[in-house]
Amino acid sequence: MRTLGRVLSAEIVKMSSRYLWLLILASPAFAVLIGMSQSEEGPISWEFILSVMGAIHGMLFLPILSGLFTALLCRYEHHNGGWKQLLSLPVSRGSVYLSKFIVAAVLLAAVQLLFLVCFLGVGWWREAGGPPPWEMVLPRILGSWLATLPLAALQLAVSQAWSSFAAPLALNVTFTIPNMLVANSTTYGPYYPWVQPLIAMSPYGADGNFGALNLPLESLMIVVLGSFVLFFTAGLLSFRRKAV
Amino acid sequence: MSETIIETKGLLKNYKGRAAVKDLNLNIRKGEIYGFLGPNGAGKTTTIRLLLGLIAPSAGTIEIFGKDLRHEKMNILRKVGSLVESPSYYGHLTAIQNLEAIRRILNVPKSRISEVLDIVSLTGEEKRPVKGFSLGMKQRLGIASALLGNPELLILDEPTNGLDPSGIQEIRDLIKRMPQEHGITVLVSSHLLSEIELMANTVGILHQGSMVYQDSITNLQQRAAGEMRLVVSEPEMALSFVENRGYTGVLQNGTLCFTRMNDTTVAQLVKVLVEKGHAIYRVEERRQSLEEFFLQVVGGVSHD
Repeated sequence: MRTLGRVLSAEIVKMSSRYLWLLILASPAFAVLIGMSQSEEGPISWEFILSVMGAIHGMLFLPILSGLFTALLCRYEHHNGGWKQLLSLPVSRGSVYLSKFIVAAVLLAAVQLLFLVCFLGVGWWREAGGPPPWEMVLPRILGSWLATLPLAALQLAVSQAWSSFAAPLALNVTFTIPNMLVANSTTYGPYYPWVQPLIAMSPYGADGNFGALNLPLESLMIVVLGSFVLFFTAGLLSFRRKAV
Repeated sequence: MSETIIETKGLLKNYKGRAAVKDLNLNIRKGEIYGFLGPNGAGKTTTIRLLLGLIAPSAGTIEIFGKDLRHEKMNILRKVGSLVESPSYYGHLTAIQNLEAIRRILNVPKSRISEVLDIVSLTGEEKRPVKGFSLGMKQRLGIASALLGNPELLILDEPTNGLDPSGIQEIRDLIKRMPQEHGITVLVSSHLLSEIELMANTVGILHQGSMVYQDSITNLQQRAAGEMRLVVSEPEMALSFVENRGYTGVLQNGTLCFTRMNDTTVAQLVKVLVEKGHAIYRVEERRQSLEEFFLQVVGGVSHD
């Protein structure tokens, strides 16, 4: 694991591609547009702002970005023999795989941070009542980030295995689109990994009654942790045996 | 006897029931330039990927620097520089960024980057994105990457592919300097006999995954020697005349064929023929192509 730091630092050099930074901006920017345009009867509440801004962000952007980031991180290795060169250097395959995952997780965290800033900005601009509701928003930002990690793990697993850039993304979108339906289902919602970021983001937690959106955070995290362990282990095992 | 750098025993790699490499016993000694020769698909690249741990062998063992590759891969790879198949690079990065990414993993001083760029004569181009490089420049960058970590063993797969003649010459000289100046052992593969002949001191020929020939380049040159061909007037008479004078040759379709001979012998042969009154239309040296030599070697193996 001593090589992990070095592999990570090499990863940062390789990432100097402008697309990545644009992707971080995309979802929060879109959320700002929605947050500014939607209106509610009576005074605007922080909960309302989070629910409108977080809906598309949690339902579509977070799952899709998890696939885009991992696909981009593998793309330049698939092209022109990057894996070959990287893996014939003194690095363990485990540290290479882990470093890719860490970079994807950090990029997703950057998206979440920017989303938080945008959320606070929109709330302040639209004069939502009271001070920023830290107890409500911080667990939701963190929770939906954690709920995205299993998806990133699965996407990394398929992106390292398939040299095509589009195939993992197609798989990702295929699983993400049903979110719109699954979110409203109390039967499937709690177990469908792709919808967990949305559930974790929803401000109408335990007291609300909105399909699967009223699950306690604890039970949600069990599904998240379970799918993460499964996807990450499968990906790592496959990468360690990968013929390059 | 100097120390062994690469030793494989009974190396086997199966792909879907077909052996890409079978029963390969390599033995490469320190300071050697080992030429790995074979037509496309003979298993050269597969062997190199096996040596670098990029793929796992189906059977057999690999020892590099006297250590088992399976158990001490990291320690071994730290001292190996490699270029496998077509050059590897990150197209969106400049040459310097490409080398920097590798440098961070190898943990060598930053000054090493300009040193290797200078060695492969890429100085001046280092700030351009590599996707705009010509194949030859990418190849040089690949060699620069291989040299970055001051390796003790250099594994170069078809390093002169895509280079122009002057580039080939340059890389060849560079490879030849490695053992002398830095004590580096080199394994270099090619599908061109002439290429290997000019660089290597030992050669191993692969054919359909098996080693069919392994010997010093001097011995190879003797075995693969070409022949002298003379087209003269009255060839039968000429042949019996020179045979009496101690030359051994044969007559093929009106052409006199002799085994390869040095310049003096050729001059003498021509001289006696001219003095005897034969008209000499053509004197040519015909070198065996790799394919012919292969057929000969492979044929030789199957007769054994």
